[in-house]
Amino acid sequence: MWLPFLGLLLGLALGLLTDIHIPAVYENYLSIAVLAALDTLFGGIRANLQQVYDDKVFLSGFFFNIALAAGLAFLGVHLGVDLYLAAIFAFGVRLFQNIAVIRRILITKWEERHIKKDENAV
Amino acid sequence: MKKKPLHNKKNKFTRKQFIVLIVCIATGFMIGYSYKLTKDEVKVNTSYLEQEESYREDLISQKERNKELIEELIALQTKRREYEKTFAENEEDYDHLLQEADKLRLLLGEIPAYGEGIRVILKDSEYDPNSPNPNDYIVHESHVFAVINELKISGAEAITVNGQRIKTDSFIRCNGPVITIDGKQFPAPFVIEAVGDAKALHTSLKIVGGVFDQLLNDRIVVTIEESSLIEMPSINDNDEGVS
Repeated sequence: MWLPFLGLLLGLALGLLTDIHIPAVYENYLSIAVLAALDTLFGGIRANLQQVYDDKVFLSGFFFNIALAAGLAFLGVHLGVDLYLAAIFAFGVRLFQNIAVIRRILITKWEERHIKKDENAV
Repeated sequence: MKKKPLHNKKNKFTRKQFIVLIVCIATGFMIGYSYKLTKDEVKVNTSYLEQEESYREDLISQKERNKELIEELIALQTKRREYEKTFAENEEDYDHLLQEADKLRLLLGEIPAYGEGIRVILKDSEYDPNSPNPNDYIVHESHVFAVINELKISGAEAITVNGQRIKTDSFIRCNGPVITIDGKQFPAPFVIEAVGDAKALHTSLKIVGGVFDQLLNDRIVVTIEESSLIEMPSINDNDEGVS
């Protein structure tokens, strides 16, 4: 369980310490990519909890989602349509759904454990 | 799913964990990077705003300073104008004083005088065998006095006798056939020159029963001529001549 958090912290440290500057135009893409990454991450956690986790799906979903979000934003910028809103909306909704599912699963697990404990106690 | 362990199984470093780690690192990196970018942007924005604010304050203070300076300039200009005005008045006063001083110097004989004037020449008359006393027909200092006095009364500014400027403290003495003026002897004929209003001088000399008549009565040959320009030296020039 500690490995993902360690990785997250490492990544955060790296991100905070890097001194690379990207043009302001691409900062939009980055924010969408962050959203996509978070979505994938929570999706992975949910899949893991639901016992349907798959490496390929996870990894490909991670990169593909990021690329798709960035591509959508890019297209939106060039078409004059705020397509990145679609990405934000989609990822946002999925993020909430994923988190909700994770929450429910955790609650169910906790209740199950509680019941088990009670049973043991009885 | 746990197909290929990357390391030994003791650490349980499975492929799944590796992928999760990579994804987590990537996500963390992106979050951290975007957080940093946003922070920088905010910082830049705030610093820019602060800079703008400080520039604006500078501008305002500069404008206020300009205003103060302009007010000062206006005040100084008004002051200068007043100075100029008073200066002009002073200059007029000064001109008056200068003219007065010139006039006084002229009367004192300290500066050379020139201008319109009159020339009176007194000559002894021809020898008259009928009168045994030569005093009856030669020019006496009293005649010269009379002429000088009359000229002064009529407003002569400067007077010379035979080129000798008459001062306030000049003395004229009869010394036989010559007269002494300030220690210098002068023979006849006596040329008395006066600077002043020629017409007035002439008229005053020729008043009926005046100096001219008296001189004629004393059988002195008198010539009066008006001159548009008479020049006479200052007393200092005369003194040089004496010494």
